Amino acid sequence: MTTQPEIMPAKTLWQATGAAVIIGLLVLVTAILPAQYNIDPTGIGDVLGLTALSPEQLSKAKIADKSEADAGVGEQTVELVIPSQSGLEYKMDMAAGNSLDYQWQTDGERIYFDLHGEPAGDTTGYFKSYTIAKAAKMEGSFIAPFAGSHGWYFKNEGWDTITIKLTINGDFDHSRIL
Amino acid sequence: MFFVCLSLRKEPMVKIVGFVSAVLLALLVSPLALAHGVDDNTRAFLQNNTGVQFAPFLYIGAKHMITGYDHILFLIGVVFFLYRGKDILLYVSLFTLGHSVTLLTGVLANIHINAYLIDAIIGLSVFYKGFDNLGGFKRLLGFQPDTRIMVLLFGLCHGFGLATKLQEFAIPKEGLLANLIAFNIGVEIGQFLALAVVVLALSAWRHLPSFHRFSTLTNTGIMACGIMLMGWQLTGYFIN
Repeated sequence: MTTQPEIMPAKTLWQATGAAVIIGLLVLVTAILPAQYNIDPTGIGDVLGLTALSPEQLSKAKIADKSEADAGVGEQTVELVIPSQSGLEYKMDMAAGNSLDYQWQTDGERIYFDLHGEPAGDTTGYFKSYTIAKAAKMEGSFIAPFAGSHGWYFKNEGWDTITIKLTINGDFDHSRIL
Repeated sequence: MFFVCLSLRKEPMVKIVGFVSAVLLALLVSPLALAHGVDDNTRAFLQNNTGVQFAPFLYIGAKHMITGYDHILFLIGVVFFLYRGKDILLYVSLFTLGHSVTLLTGVLANIHINAYLIDAIIGLSVFYKGFDNLGGFKRLLGFQPDTRIMVLLFGLCHGFGLATKLQEFAIPKEGLLANLIAFNIGVEIGQFLALAVVVLALSAWRHLPSFHRFSTLTNTGIMACGIMLMGWQLTGYFIN
């Protein structure tokens, strides 16, 4: 079926395979893992600035009041960095009937967002949107209609990175970037 | 990579093929951020639209295949030493059969396989094909495992990979079958477009002396890419 011209000498085969494994692992460890996961055992990813591409580094959540947040009620301020032409979700777990005050603003750029909730344990993909709009800042509160994860999907449609400063205050747990 | 040498040649046909290949490569390399996974516009669409959306799903399928470097790498490996149209058709049909079966049943029967693991297996399929192209299995086992069965088996794995991409977004049940078929047809269109360029470039290259000189190097590159894909996905599996 195939037209391999000649059977490869064993030496060439093992040299090629060995080279492939070494090159593959080298690129993996020095470039892919730092850029994708912020895992940088050699430190080369950091030197090249590749770790800056990883989601962990792009969005450093700053927890303003951890002790209160841990208690289930609290205030939290995070900075979300959203690169050009990409999106990010910031969600937290809330019980039904619990309320949350929020306030966020960008540097001035308007950004598309969808404030929504997904019921806990749901696998059908159902979600309920509370607000879908484009804005540079917003302030308000909402009451979770059901237990589950609630929060924002931000979508940066422009060509510049947008940084959002978000403060939430209320009954929530396990706030995280998705 | 290896296509670059083509654009330096004088023959107009080869020049055209080289140019087309360069465009494909640009397509493959530049949108790394949106390649492979489903990008955010698509994601917003998938989550917000209900009912039968034939053309959009067709487009998403085609785009996923064209920007899906793991599928393309495997296909480059599969057609690398095939030069007869009949053989190319046979192998590509087996691959298509395999991935269509698991794409459809995976989504319809709601079979959930960890996306990192299935993508790691797809990485393994890329490594396998590079190694196989160098006659590695003949050397290692003393005989050549049936490449038709292998392409079908790995086709099944690639289909599960396609299915997980759609399942990540929990697309609405309404109109699922029609949308799924549209996505599947889109995948085949994307595959056809990508393959057309690959086959054209390979068949032009095959006649040049550099093909024999660089075929080992190219398949080494394919193996290296397979290793990278496997390491990337397995790491993702273990840290998530």
